Amino acid sequence: MNVPVENYLVLAALIFAIGCAGVLTRRNFIVILMSVELMLNAVNLTFVALSRQLVSMDGQMIVFFVMTVAAAEVAVGLAIFLAIYSQRRTVNADEISLLRW
Amino acid sequence: MEPSALGNVASLAYSLPEIVLGAAVVLLFLLDLVVTRKETLGDVALVTLALVVVLSARLLWGDSAALYNGAVVVDGFALFFKLLLALAAFATVWMSLGSREIQKNGTGEYWAVLLASTLGLLFMASSTNLLMAYLALEFVSLTSYVLSGFMRHSRRASEASLKYLIYGGVASGTMIYGMSWVYGLAGSLDFRAIHTALMSGQGAALPLYVALLLTLAGLGYKVAAFPFHMWAPDVYQGAPIPVTAFLAVGSKAAGFALMIRFFFTAMAQSVGAGVYQLVGGVDWSQLILVLSMVTMTFGNLAAVAQQGNVKRLLAYSSIAHAGYMLMGFAVLNDDGLRAMLFYLTVYYLMNLGAFVVVMLVANSTGREDLAGYRGLAWRGGALPAVAMAIFLFSLTGLPPLAGFVGKFYLFAAVVEKQLYLLAVVGVLNSVVSLVYYARIVRTMFLEQPTGGEGVVAVDWHNGLLLGLLTIGTLVLGVAWGPLIDFAGRSTHFLAY
Amino acid sequence: MNPYIALLISFALCAIVAGIMCGASWLLGPKVENKAKSEIFETGNPPLGSIRGIRFPVKFYLTAILFVVFDIEVVFMYPWAVVFRRLGWMGLGEMAVFVAVLAVGLAYVWRVGALEWD
Repeated sequence: MNVPVENYLVLAALIFAIGCAGVLTRRNFIVILMSVELMLNAVNLTFVALSRQLVSMDGQMIVFFVMTVAAAEVAVGLAIFLAIYSQRRTVNADEISLLRW
Repeated sequence: MEPSALGNVASLAYSLPEIVLGAAVVLLFLLDLVVTRKETLGDVALVTLALVVVLSARLLWGDSAALYNGAVVVDGFALFFKLLLALAAFATVWMSLGSREIQKNGTGEYWAVLLASTLGLLFMASSTNLLMAYLALEFVSLTSYVLSGFMRHSRRASEASLKYLIYGGVASGTMIYGMSWVYGLAGSLDFRAIHTALMSGQGAALPLYVALLLTLAGLGYKVAAFPFHMWAPDVYQGAPIPVTAFLAVGSKAAGFALMIRFFFTAMAQSVGAGVYQLVGGVDWSQLILVLSMVTMTFGNLAAVAQQGNVKRLLAYSSIAHAGYMLMGFAVLNDDGLRAMLFYLTVYYLMNLGAFVVVMLVANSTGREDLAGYRGLAWRGGALPAVAMAIFLFSLTGLPPLAGFVGKFYLFAAVVEKQLYLLAVVGVLNSVVSLVYYARIVRTMFLEQPTGGEGVVAVDWHNGLLLGLLTIGTLVLGVAWGPLIDFAGRSTHFLAY
Repeated sequence: MNPYIALLISFALCAIVAGIMCGASWLLGPKVENKAKSEIFETGNPPLGSIRGIRFPVKFYLTAILFVVFDIEVVFMYPWAVVFRRLGWMGLGEMAVFVAVLAVGLAYVWRVGALEWD
């Protein structure tokens, strides 16, 4: 069975929207970071589907880089969480509000 | 003019600045393991950046070339920004060497990460490919998160860094999603190929518009334009002062470089005489125009309402300035771009200068709030107070300072294009900005110190940097000709 | 007629039936709230403290971070390995530079003591 490219794009758009919604509604920073990863995975799906559609390798190549960048982002994110957690024993977005005006 | 893309080995000769910088990053990490006096690493970083400036300047006399099979380009436009960015990094390292905050948290990796960030900035200024653009932007972002959270034991810094990471992750994720659409619509990642595809009528206008909006999220976030500015006040306030200065000047300039390159080479067509036309049926100049007005208005009004922290106030002012600079973007011609490039240079001098004064005050008294500036001129800080007044009036755009010349060229380009509404909004904003800039000046000169603020001392190291930046701001206010010519020449490289 | 349409109808029926059952019990059933009912069920014992009290040793995170960072770099070696012969000495040299930079990172991590378990 040949799945048309539109289906992949719609699925990717849905995943991206779920990721966005997660970032906006969740309160735990680790879950927020996971939602960001979800957005990046939607991007990867789009690129791979389009790459097949266009018969070009560029789309697959960029996925490798997006994956690496995502991993680097998680690493830096977790390191910052550790610093925050050791300072205040929480990773809850509502409780981290020193910087306000 | 079609520069043929060079292969990997042939490209190396053109990327000496990047190679030196990359090697220095590796070297600094290794040196950190063996050297015990960490200021030595700062000196190494300073020398490296001086070398990068010289090497970039040398390339100005060479030919333009597309490097690494078309991933990046070296041309006058890229080199203008490389020089500006390397100088910004140079000033940041200089500042860091004299910063109490950095000394207290003295570890060696700070210098390596700062140079790595600079390397990313250089690539942002020269990338001609969506993949390269994304990688460079992410590289800068990741290193900036680390830099802004550098004071590990400061709750404020960790929080700033966390917020930066979350906003940055979402913004860049949105941008790459937009890029994936551009790739789908135009069938390529290369700016020139995208341009060709759009010229031949490929790609429907509505999806392309959505894709551009998504892409704009990441770029708008880097230059701190409304509505992607939310991170700026928190991060500017929380990060160490030299890092704040670096983000305000370096990140913003590189963001504009990438934005100009992408929009003017992929999404527009040069029709001769330095005038551009939109392609693909997407009217992004209208969009940028609205964005520009909203950004400057928001930035200025928020800054007026901001009474406490001076770094936070400068953050809102930097948002407003992103708005001013976007004016030159919206007019779609070389005059506008020239004004933008000129303004970025001027902005570099005056904004960095303002941060040096903030650092001097914080070094001596540990304070960043407006009350800490009370009577600054009368308690040892006469020199920084006078310099600060010059920078702030220049930021407002008062003659005979450099900021006035910059704004004059921006407004001239806008008026010439008959965008009167934009010009009126811009002028009104400049008037509003006088309110909060003048408030700082009044606090420094007209209010008497109550005695509890402490004495502000100026050492020769920071004093020299402050002096150089002040002289730059004053000189460009009266002799702007050479720089505006240089900026004008640099914009010609975009057309093809 | 798509052969999968029967599956789709079956999914839809499941969803509808389950929806009716849950919805009806939520609509029609009596709702009595009291303290004992809203407490977390922990095999009959009264719950102790907040859920956030669970502690993980930080060193797990640190090791995980380092693993993720170095592990993901292998992603670039797969495409390189596929076209290894065609790239020739040039490709080998480029990969050597890449690995050397990674090695510096590893040496740094090692030297600052991030790999020590205790």
